[in-house]
Amino acid sequence: MQQMLYIILGLPPLFAALALTKCFSNKVLHWGNRLTALIVAGAFVRMTTILAPNAVFTNGIFYLDALSMWLLFIVVSLYLAAALLSKSYLEKEATRGYLDRATTFIGKYYALFTTFVWTMFLVLVTQNLGLMWVCIEATTLVSALLVSFKHTRSALEATWKYIMVCTVGICLALLGTIILYYAQLAVLGPVKPLDWVWLKENAILLNPNLVKMAFLFMIIGYGTKIGLAPMHTWLPDAYSQAPSLISGLLSGALCACAIYVLLRNMVVIIPSVGIAFAAHILYAFAFLTVAIAVPFAIVQRDIKRLLAYSSMENIGIMVIGLAVFTTTSASAVLLHLFNHAMIKFALFFLAGTIIQEYQTSNMMRIHGMMGETPYTATFTLLGMFAILGMPPFGIFFSKFTIIMEVFKSGNYFLGSLFILLLAGVLMGVVYHFLRMLSCTSKRKALGELLTFKSMAILCIMLISTIALSTGLENFPYLRGLLSSATQIIIVGGAAL
Amino acid sequence: MEQLLILLLAVVFLQTRIMNLKNAIVCLMAQSTIIAVACFMVGMESNIGWHSFLPAILTMVFKVGVIPYALFTLVKKLTNEQELESNINANYSTAASAFFVVLSYMLIDKMLPGIGSRDIVASSLVLIMTGLALIVMRSRAIMQIVGLVTVENGIYLFGMAITEGLPIIIELGIFLDVLIAVVVLVILTKRLSLSFMTTDTNVLQKLKG
Repeated sequence: MQQMLYIILGLPPLFAALALTKCFSNKVLHWGNRLTALIVAGAFVRMTTILAPNAVFTNGIFYLDALSMWLLFIVVSLYLAAALLSKSYLEKEATRGYLDRATTFIGKYYALFTTFVWTMFLVLVTQNLGLMWVCIEATTLVSALLVSFKHTRSALEATWKYIMVCTVGICLALLGTIILYYAQLAVLGPVKPLDWVWLKENAILLNPNLVKMAFLFMIIGYGTKIGLAPMHTWLPDAYSQAPSLISGLLSGALCACAIYVLLRNMVVIIPSVGIAFAAHILYAFAFLTVAIAVPFAIVQRDIKRLLAYSSMENIGIMVIGLAVFTTTSASAVLLHLFNHAMIKFALFFLAGTIIQEYQTSNMMRIHGMMGETPYTATFTLLGMFAILGMPPFGIFFSKFTIIMEVFKSGNYFLGSLFILLLAGVLMGVVYHFLRMLSCTSKRKALGELLTFKSMAILCIMLISTIALSTGLENFPYLRGLLSSATQIIIVGGAAL
Repeated sequence: MEQLLILLLAVVFLQTRIMNLKNAIVCLMAQSTIIAVACFMVGMESNIGWHSFLPAILTMVFKVGVIPYALFTLVKKLTNEQELESNINANYSTAASAFFVVLSYMLIDKMLPGIGSRDIVASSLVLIMTGLALIVMRSRAIMQIVGLVTVENGIYLFGMAITEGLPIIIELGIFLDVLIAVVVLVILTKRLSLSFMTTDTNVLQKLKG
């Protein structure tokens, strides 16, 4: 077990360091990247065979339970997909994208990309809430360099906003963590500072007023990182300016990691403050997030910004699922994390391909994709259906369950309003995507760029969401993981 | 300790008046030095071996040494920065800073009644809020970095005052993060001055909606 964990944590930085040395040809780097991802994925699969779904692995610093394994499953899947897709993506960017002037960019890109994924692994395997904060801040710093990778003026602007808004936000989360530590010191003394297991066991003893204050700072801080409105201002900029694969990772994996850290803190916080306090705040943020996404999605012109606002919609759905805080809704949120990660990553990759095919990200200048680039168009159509929550794709089931739980908990007015807002986002996305797919083209595409291998990977990603949401019984391990992870959130959070 | 806090608040007020980039960095150094001395004094009182002095040493090395050095080398490379000087915001931010002093004491009495180190906590809140105000009100990149480090200093002092120091490994992580953040921001500022010919962040207004 420990060896496998060390492979997952040791190999990526090793490869990143090697890629930075510039003494390898691009071919070696492509293969090295894929090999690293495959070995990491293999080590993860080996870990799933050793660690039972409801078991816990801990050695004082690292801590793995069902919740972190589920999140690791999401991040490792995305890492593998991104690593396998990156060769064709980078080569296309080199011939017809923004990267043509640079020659040594591939090593730098791989180094940053692998380090970014590595910091996300670190977030998921640490036991200490303080170290979790450190790792989350590290993800911001590494991904900031990736956001500015294009070296254009807009990329620079997006990076500056990203790093300023996120660092200040995350500083507030540190303030919250310090207050939590103060609350711990007052009743438990300086034993095992900020240790999650220790805090969870003694959560009921903490002073509610202090913990309330800590929670307020944390929801602002980690909410900035998740992308909750009104702290979301960095999100559309960063998602639209980063290289497409990185946008997919930011939206799918990093957002999931930030939600994970918030969940871990909530498990400690809710027993002493009560769920009602946290639920009100989460409801408010979730509504604001979706409500702000609606107008921007409808009048949007940039394809990646449209996807960013659709991400905000999904973030709102997940946070509202957490606000309801029942067993069904928590497991639906975890499932939604997976579904959203897969589908949004596929869509960002497709958006990158469309930008390469049409040499523009302005949706008003892209028409007639069905005729000119049939494969890209078909997958874009499928991805659109998937992200909007049409059956049989996974998001339908998780979204449906979450909204059902909102109604079941008695919030009829909120639920109806929420559905109306979701309909607004749907209108925007359907209008823009169908416009791009249909009509006749005024601007000719450069040809079909989606390779057979990329299509296979996209197929697997889309189908995996269907398989996991409709037929979870067929995957006993994952089902066990999901139910134990739900138990960790609900039982740990509702010790009262 | 009281004299130190008065000095710290004076430095923070001075920080809001300064428009010259070099002087702002010197002021930041003074502020970090005071924080380091405060850390040292807290370390003397707690008296739990060598590692109670580590925060003071780390603050000296990183926030008085490395970060100002990086900022100074950056300022030297910027050529047409000084002409952008304006003090249009100085009075507002000083007034805001004064308001924050009152606000912090009110917050402390309301939120953490009966806390031992009331003055230190209040001045750390002043530091945090003034840093945020600097980030919002100043448009030049280096001034925003100075504001960010001020916020970090404030949070650090806050942690120092209410918990007598975080666990050492977390503290190291926080220092590393601050250092990397400043390095990344310095790199970005260099790129800003290369591609926009200025480090005024008001030019960053293309991405909207």
